[in-house]
Amino acid sequence: MAVDRQDRAELQRLFREFAKSRDSALRDQLVSAHMGLAEHLARRLANRGEPVDDLIQVASLALLKAVERFDPERGLEFSTFATPTIVGELKRHFRDKGWAVRVPRRIQELHLRMGTVIGELTQREGRSPTVGEIAQATSASEEDVLEAIDAGHAYRLASLDAPGATGDENPLASRLGQEDPRLNESEQRATLLPLLEHLAERERLIVHLRFFEGKTQSEIAGALGLSQMHVSRLLARSLAELRAVAQHED
Amino acid sequence: MALGEVRLDVPASPEFFRLARIMVAGVASRGGFTLDALDDLRLAIDELCFALVGEGREGRLQLTLRLIPGGIEVEGDARFADLPKRGPVLSALSQMILGTVVDGYEVILDASARFRMVKRIAQVS
Repeated sequence: MAVDRQDRAELQRLFREFAKSRDSALRDQLVSAHMGLAEHLARRLANRGEPVDDLIQVASLALLKAVERFDPERGLEFSTFATPTIVGELKRHFRDKGWAVRVPRRIQELHLRMGTVIGELTQREGRSPTVGEIAQATSASEEDVLEAIDAGHAYRLASLDAPGATGDENPLASRLGQEDPRLNESEQRATLLPLLEHLAERERLIVHLRFFEGKTQSEIAGALGLSQMHVSRLLARSLAELRAVAQHED
Repeated sequence: MALGEVRLDVPASPEFFRLARIMVAGVASRGGFTLDALDDLRLAIDELCFALVGEGREGRLQLTLRLIPGGIEVEGDARFADLPKRGPVLSALSQMILGTVVDGYEVILDASARFRMVKRIAQVS
């Protein structure tokens, strides 16, 4: 039986089952069953300069988060619980996009050029470069370089095409190797580890390497085959997402 | 030329954090910090400003920056039109981030929220 034809009681039963099992197939069923809500909310915010498909994608990601966090034992309707989450994510998307498009084209182009230059300088000098060195290598002013560094930090929501934050595609543990026993000694870190589950796999790995293993951004970039600027951007976006999740859970 | 103190006074709202990040990076770059260290500073400024201001409140946020021997010192001071409904706290997430990216920080969150942080060049790898 298709989930979208199931009645409310059946959906409540599925939510209760999912709360116990955390089964990804059940989660996907619940997401499918409520896609109409996500699309409805996304279309309400259409005609504001953002493609509807992008808005639906943002709303779908928010819906997924809402399904994962919903507690059926609280007696709340799922739509009542999910609507503020989805609308909040859509508003954040608009805010972030607006912030991003105000970056002048020349700064955007410099930002793209800098990706290559920083990699070359890091390799040549054996350390992270300074702003002066980047400015010299790109024939730009230090002020423009500083602005271009910041231009990469539009805290956009992760694409649905990015690796999932939960579910079956989770080889992260194997890539991280054995858990550092020191982590267990830190109550603070133990509190934060579940929070990282909200991130996509690559972002989770980057946050882990930076904050749990103390690697620098350049070291992480080298290890993962990314540019330092890309790591910087992913790290900033991940922290913004973690902050939003932490606030939501407070 | 000695830089002395550099100050920024903006509305207490996250949309002005970008100005703070650019200013801190600009001052720190004059002190010889590398790109990795500048990114650490930018993350720290985001966390500290957010700790003070949250999603935005009626008020002003003032930042004071000083290049000190071997590093940079940043002080933040937020003044609000009204008292918060409940006292904000520095989250475990913020503590983890700040503990990693700067050499020292202190946050005082009451009616007039303040912070002070220090990052040293020597720590940069």
